[in-house]
Amino acid sequence: MFDLPIEGAQLMAVEFGDIVAYFSVYTGTLFAFALLFTVLAIVSLPERPMDIVFGGDAYYTKEIPLDLLRFQRFMAIACGLATLGAVVSGDIFNFTLFGSMIGITNIGIVAAVKNRHVLEAAYQYGIVAMVATVPLFGGAAIVLASTGTLSIWALAGAAAVPLLAKIFLVLGVMGEGMAPFYIGKAEITRAPGAPYVLMIHVSSLLLFLRVVEIVLTV
Amino acid sequence: MSPYGTVLAVVLVAMAIAFVALVRERDDLHRLLLTDLAEIVALAIIALVATDLAEALILPGLVVGISELMALSEVYLVKEGLRSVPERLMHIEVMDSAPAILAVALVIYGIVLSGFSGGAVAGCGLLFWFFCKGHDEAFEIIETASGYAWALWIVAFFVFMIAPAYWLFAVMLAGGGILLKVMAKMALVGTMRGGRDV
Repeated sequence: MFDLPIEGAQLMAVEFGDIVAYFSVYTGTLFAFALLFTVLAIVSLPERPMDIVFGGDAYYTKEIPLDLLRFQRFMAIACGLATLGAVVSGDIFNFTLFGSMIGITNIGIVAAVKNRHVLEAAYQYGIVAMVATVPLFGGAAIVLASTGTLSIWALAGAAAVPLLAKIFLVLGVMGEGMAPFYIGKAEITRAPGAPYVLMIHVSSLLLFLRVVEIVLTV
Repeated sequence: MSPYGTVLAVVLVAMAIAFVALVRERDDLHRLLLTDLAEIVALAIIALVATDLAEALILPGLVVGISELMALSEVYLVKEGLRSVPERLMHIEVMDSAPAILAVALVIYGIVLSGFSGGAVAGCGLLFWFFCKGHDEAFEIIETASGYAWALWIVAFFVFMIAPAYWLFAVMLAGGGILLKVMAKMALVGTMRGGRDV
């Protein structure tokens, strides 16, 4: 496909006018991963983390309120759907929009936990994600301005996209996919929230892999 | 250098200024506002392309920006524990005597204008009324009106598609519907204060 080494064989292309979502071996694999974890987020129940009192033999499990569970699951599913869109979209602007949607849903997953420390981290991450839309959309706009099209299908292999636009795209995705670092800061993995927190890691990983493919293709 | 390149350089400088301000700022609320400033720069870069396609891209960009801003402000409110309903911010004498006549004048003028701009004017009238008189019971009425407006609009679409001969009737329905819809939306601006109705 595109006669470039990165994609592998073409499996399927879904045309919406001049926007062509394509499944190559590469994007198809990413899609399968995102689909798998979305299904996991739908079917799995949250684990109940156990706290052990140091120096004694008392322990207790944390209860997870139902509304928190529902909200986090909804956000995780939405994040999975946005990831599905982002990994197969054949349009650079659609990719950026799906990327910012991943950013928003990641904020949602983190911010569901009503804990000041966690909320603080979610807020700081949100600032980063919001600022990252500047290079993200800026990159897409420069692609449009310099080549006249946003379709990856049309741009593939032409080497027409300026380096600045590629740098902007990568910077933007770095900002949107920054969430796992803030998760570490918030220690949300110890707060009740797993396995939905997994979706944050999966989505940002897949987003990074996809932007690498885009930058190497266009 | 092309005009596009020149203005792009200017925008990049503006972007740098916004980012430096963001790094230097320490207050969380001010940082939130500054991120919005940075967001506008992204829209400026898109707008620079100056084609119809780029204009069509600005709207989704704006929606993303606004939704992120709203999500973050909500996180900020919860984080800081700002839950109490603010006291009345402003009270001057004219707010007791004038609201009825001003609101009625604006709503009637809005109906005369009809359509989107009419909805905006009439909505301003309602907004002024709620601002002066409080808004505890009005939400249900607005929701009902908004629902009927939507139904009118859909009916108008069906008339356009099924019986195009009656286009004037459909235009009137759609114009009235969008008047109500925009009025309802405008009237809600600024009234959500986390009180018991929301």
